[in-house]
Amino acid sequence: MVVWIVVAAVVVVVFLFAIVTYNHLVRLRNEAETGWANIDVQLKRRADLVPNLVEAVRAYAAHEAETFDSVTKARAAALQASGPAQAAQADAALSGPLNRLIAVSEAYPQLRASENFLKLQEELADIEDKLAAARRYYNQTVYRFNSVQQTFPSVLVARPFGFHERQFFETDQRDPVDVSFAQA
Amino acid sequence: MTLKEQIRANRWRTLWLLFLFAVLVGLIGVILAYAFRPSLLIVVGIVGIVYGIFSWISAGKIVASATGAQPAGRAQYPRLYHVVETVALAAGLTQPPPIYIVDDTAPNAFAAGRSLDTAYVCVTTGLLELMDERELEGVIAHELSHIRNRDVRLMSLVAVLVGVVALLSDFLFRISIFGGGRKSGGTAGLIAFALGLAALALAPIAAVLIQLAVSRRREYLADASAAEITGDGEGLALALRKLELDTTETRHASRAVAHLYIENPLNQASGMRRTMRSLFDTHPPLAARIAALEEAGGFRLPPA
Repeated sequence: MVVWIVVAAVVVVVFLFAIVTYNHLVRLRNEAETGWANIDVQLKRRADLVPNLVEAVRAYAAHEAETFDSVTKARAAALQASGPAQAAQADAALSGPLNRLIAVSEAYPQLRASENFLKLQEELADIEDKLAAARRYYNQTVYRFNSVQQTFPSVLVARPFGFHERQFFETDQRDPVDVSFAQA
Repeated sequence: MTLKEQIRANRWRTLWLLFLFAVLVGLIGVILAYAFRPSLLIVVGIVGIVYGIFSWISAGKIVASATGAQPAGRAQYPRLYHVVETVALAAGLTQPPPIYIVDDTAPNAFAAGRSLDTAYVCVTTGLLELMDERELEGVIAHELSHIRNRDVRLMSLVAVLVGVVALLSDFLFRISIFGGGRKSGGTAGLIAFALGLAALALAPIAAVLIQLAVSRRREYLADASAAEITGDGEGLALALRKLELDTTETRHASRAVAHLYIENPLNQASGMRRTMRSLFDTHPPLAARIAALEEAGGFRLPPA
């Protein structure tokens, strides 16, 4: 009799633990997905912005064809990227050419004075800041999500229920795009 | 203690305080029922409950009108929108909260609202003028962590409860002074009457003490969360330093909403008056908050 009570109690405890852990994992997964969606929104905004920026600069500095070309190519590659790790690579690959484009614009006072260009530049600054913020949140969440999956005893729940570790959105070699919101 | 444990401990403490609040109100009710006519008490009780529910439903609006907050236009405040939206992303909020502005030269900010969905942030024009982008980010992160940690719900609730107790005790005090309902003559009646008056006088004080206990600790917690959100505790510390040095008094702040602000809007007195008042502060001293940020972030601000 006593044995059965003990067995029942153990089963109940294990069951409760599984429920709590499962819910925790689902919550973390949702948070990570929200975080990724937020990054994705900014990446898309930037992909939409870049052609306009290129056109704006081209109107004043038509002979910088090489810069335009590299920006356009990097943007196309970024659109192809799938998953956080690839997207982060593509993002890093875009930051270099974008910086060159901004640097080119420095040499053309008329361009810098144009309202259209100022607006585009301000929007780029807005996107870059938001991207950095969204990246921070996403990576923190992924870190927590992955840690829970790797550690004992929650690993016993994570594996059978098909939770997978998520990729971070990060690379070592990314230069920040050098535009600031306040200047515009 | 990790942040999460701190939040949990804080929630327990909060429940305790709400419980104490209920006990306080109940106790006053019992004393009053003894001292005055019970029928009067029922009427007053109903008024209190209706008033409480009404102000809870419109808590956000009441706070807005009590502080003079207006919705901020995006075209007029692009920098503010940029900062709030950016910090909201870093805080993992599903969408940035509405932004309000108070036309006041005193730098201050608060968050209010009943729930995560109805919460808004509000800053004064003085804050926008005083803070650079990094400092503004720190302040906004502080306010958004009040929203994210569900502090606004509790703080709005406390504002409402303090309001209800103040209203009721004021109401009953007047009635009893003008001889509304003495139950019977004799010594026992007089003692009960005196007890009732004392309870009425003490109720608002007790309510305010609970308000303080709820809010002080939350400021430290919100500072810590803000540093975590932006990854830049120094920015917030610099902002707090500027608030510390500033002495302009916030115009539209009253006792009931004081605990919502990032910096105590009422505590600008000095000397003896300041010492007396510090007992009743809704906020820990700014210097202590800066020190806590310095310790957590491993940096030192240059002396003021």
